[in-house]
Amino acid sequence: MSAVAIPCQSSNCPNGHPPSRLECPTCNKLGIKGSFFCGQDCFKANWKTHKIIHDIATPRQPLLDDPNINKDGTFNPFGTFKFTGPLRPVYPLSPRRVVPDHIPRPDYAEDGIPTSESRRAGQPPRLLPPDEQEKMRNVCRLAREVLDIAAAAIRPGITTDEIDAIVHQATIDRGAYPSPLNYRNYPKSVCTSVNEVICHGIPDKRKLQEGDIINIGYHGDLNETYPVGRVDDDSKRLMRTARQCLDEAIKLCKPGALFRDLGKTIEPIARANGCSVVRTYCGHGINDLFHTAPNVPHYAKNKAIGTMKPGMCFTIEPMINLGHWDLEHWPDDWTAVTIDGKRSAQFEETLLITETGVEVLTAGKPRADLQ
Amino acid sequence: MRGRELAPTLLRVLYLEDKRLWHSSPHLSSLPSFASKRSRHGGRRARRYSVELLDTAVDAQGLSDNDGSAQPRTVPLTIICGFLGAGKSTLVRRILTERHGYRIAVIMNEFGDTAMKLAKTINVSSPNDPTQQSEEVLELANGCLCCSIKDTGAAAIEKLMQRKGAFDHILLETTGLADPGPIASMFWQNEEFSMGLGRDIHLDGVVCVVDAVFGRQQMEEDHAADGIGESLRQIAAADVILLNKVDLVPPADADALEEMIRGVNPAASLYRTVRGEIDLKYLMGIDAYRSRQLLDETRKTITGQHGGSTHTHGHDHDHDCDNEHGHEHHRAPTHYELRGISSLQIDCPKLSAAQLDKLDEWIRTVLWEKQLPNQATGATGAGSIEVLRCKGIFVTEHGELHVLQGVRNLYEIAKVEEGEEELGLPDTGKLVLIGKGLHESVRSNLMEQLGIA
Repeated sequence: MSAVAIPCQSSNCPNGHPPSRLECPTCNKLGIKGSFFCGQDCFKANWKTHKIIHDIATPRQPLLDDPNINKDGTFNPFGTFKFTGPLRPVYPLSPRRVVPDHIPRPDYAEDGIPTSESRRAGQPPRLLPPDEQEKMRNVCRLAREVLDIAAAAIRPGITTDEIDAIVHQATIDRGAYPSPLNYRNYPKSVCTSVNEVICHGIPDKRKLQEGDIINIGYHGDLNETYPVGRVDDDSKRLMRTARQCLDEAIKLCKPGALFRDLGKTIEPIARANGCSVVRTYCGHGINDLFHTAPNVPHYAKNKAIGTMKPGMCFTIEPMINLGHWDLEHWPDDWTAVTIDGKRSAQFEETLLITETGVEVLTAGKPRADLQ
Repeated sequence: MRGRELAPTLLRVLYLEDKRLWHSSPHLSSLPSFASKRSRHGGRRARRYSVELLDTAVDAQGLSDNDGSAQPRTVPLTIICGFLGAGKSTLVRRILTERHGYRIAVIMNEFGDTAMKLAKTINVSSPNDPTQQSEEVLELANGCLCCSIKDTGAAAIEKLMQRKGAFDHILLETTGLADPGPIASMFWQNEEFSMGLGRDIHLDGVVCVVDAVFGRQQMEEDHAADGIGESLRQIAAADVILLNKVDLVPPADADALEEMIRGVNPAASLYRTVRGEIDLKYLMGIDAYRSRQLLDETRKTITGQHGGSTHTHGHDHDHDCDNEHGHEHHRAPTHYELRGISSLQIDCPKLSAAQLDKLDEWIRTVLWEKQLPNQATGATGAGSIEVLRCKGIFVTEHGELHVLQGVRNLYEIAKVEEGEEELGLPDTGKLVLIGKGLHESVRSNLMEQLGIA
């Protein structure tokens, strides 16, 4: 504090800028010198302009104030999005994982655009010749191995990103390209869908908690929903129902069966257990293309086109919700969540229609927790 | 910002009065920001976000289990097609002007091959002043719909309605050469994903505007790669055909053209118009993909009020037929070949349950496999069939009425519920097929499959 009187700093001082010794207290605290005003009224009148100086000078600590930023530096990038349930994304995502050069890449590995799929759009499902069927068998067997490895890693405390790392490594160890990676610019190698996420969850830094249910989805194409530690009864019911829906639908598959009839079996099972069937996403054909004809809805009363024939390879992947069937997407343009925030479970297998019936190419061991 | 965060203020977007369009971009404004520059009102207030107020009360109520048995109101969508100059835009303008007080969205479709490439914006008419239209941006969806067959265009319109409220009607005006069949098929299938919250789209029908002056020439001359001309495809897919500009042609020409059109599509309602003037009740709210229009048309045929196609000699036929036409074309099942496309009407007696199943099997073989059952396709493609549109009514022995609707390879045979039949059941059923390769053998093949002599 100086003894010299300084003229009033107000830009529109009505008193003609008389010298004053009245200093702004905040500036005093901040160590800014020279903020003198001739009187309280003059100070108040000039407050709006003057306080900008405080803003500039205040050391900033925004991290403490923003609820979307966690103490450990992770953050929720969609702070204003109206989330439907308790789950939040935990960014930053890890950098894009590298695939070694010796592994052949699909057409979308560079630009994310699956051009080969668009070329085949509108055509009926392809009937695979025996050598391609054998390839599908191999691929699905590998995919099942990878999924089992990922499932073994599930425990409370592990992040979904770590699961993605495990899947990615297991895939390239087998000399394969993880198909979700850069498919339409999907950033990761596996889909991890926790709790109310229906599908296409992006692996991030969220730690799995006891009581969660997580679906790990992988191209082969297959996915399964697993409990993390002990889960509540509703979640158990949900998972059991979803598995039952899939199993019953598989029983219907044989040459001559209609794709539109699968939903007629799936939906009543869901209803009987107080659940609903997601309508927006369907099973799909799969061969050298990731997603192709036929389209396989899981709900009843649908107009699906196609009759099953030997050589057709497709997936059935019912998504079952505890609440309403409708869904919403997060702003990341991928994660699909239930519209009421209630949990969702899914199971998927890749099937090949044979001369006499169906072969489940991705079959794994039956799970004790689903009996 | 300083720990005193006021609740975000929710701003209503007034797009009717104020023509600027506001987007809410939540992911942009949520990134940590050190300066409150984005705050529109400056000062000491916390950041305000322009967010659309979502009426969660309505959504919550609608979340009860919707098994489709309840029929809440959905937004009808009409596809308007027709060659350049036929009068589509005049018709659209008329609709907007006359339906004063309604919120009608008009979409211009830049047609692609399979996927519908939508324009980036659609025009929404203001209920208060039909000459005013606000332009809304359509946010097209993204790659994550890869496992979904929901079309991105349909999703974009629904998303828009979620933001701005439901429209009363949607008009989709296709470009002159577009084939409305795949678009109709897409919107019809899209109904399966409906939520029942009053914002879902249902396909009301396809309206084709034909130019009375140039229509005949267009039908005879245009051709696409597979031999079926665009104008023929448009007529084939239409539920309502407007023979426009009839004041500019002599009546005989109009009659001849009408005859040609009827030959291609006997199932559509046909009206002659001048400057697109017609009571809109014939165009909008017709439910062409349900049972009502079909039942109405069938009743008209039964009571002899079919279309008004008076028979004249001023036209040419391709099929064998002497010039002395003793029979009425519109009564007997017709077989009219015009540059590869024809229609076939088949009468069906009362069917047993087993026969109805057989019929379903026959329909799906024809529509999906593109050939007749028990008949291999010849090397030259002989025997191959392409059905562009099919409609049918069938009566079962137990007195049930079943309606067939099909466009391209998408079809449905649905039972008509009690109360919708009104005037009682017809005695016989009828099937109408429109497409390519529909020779007489098709009729006999169906009868054979049904076990009818």
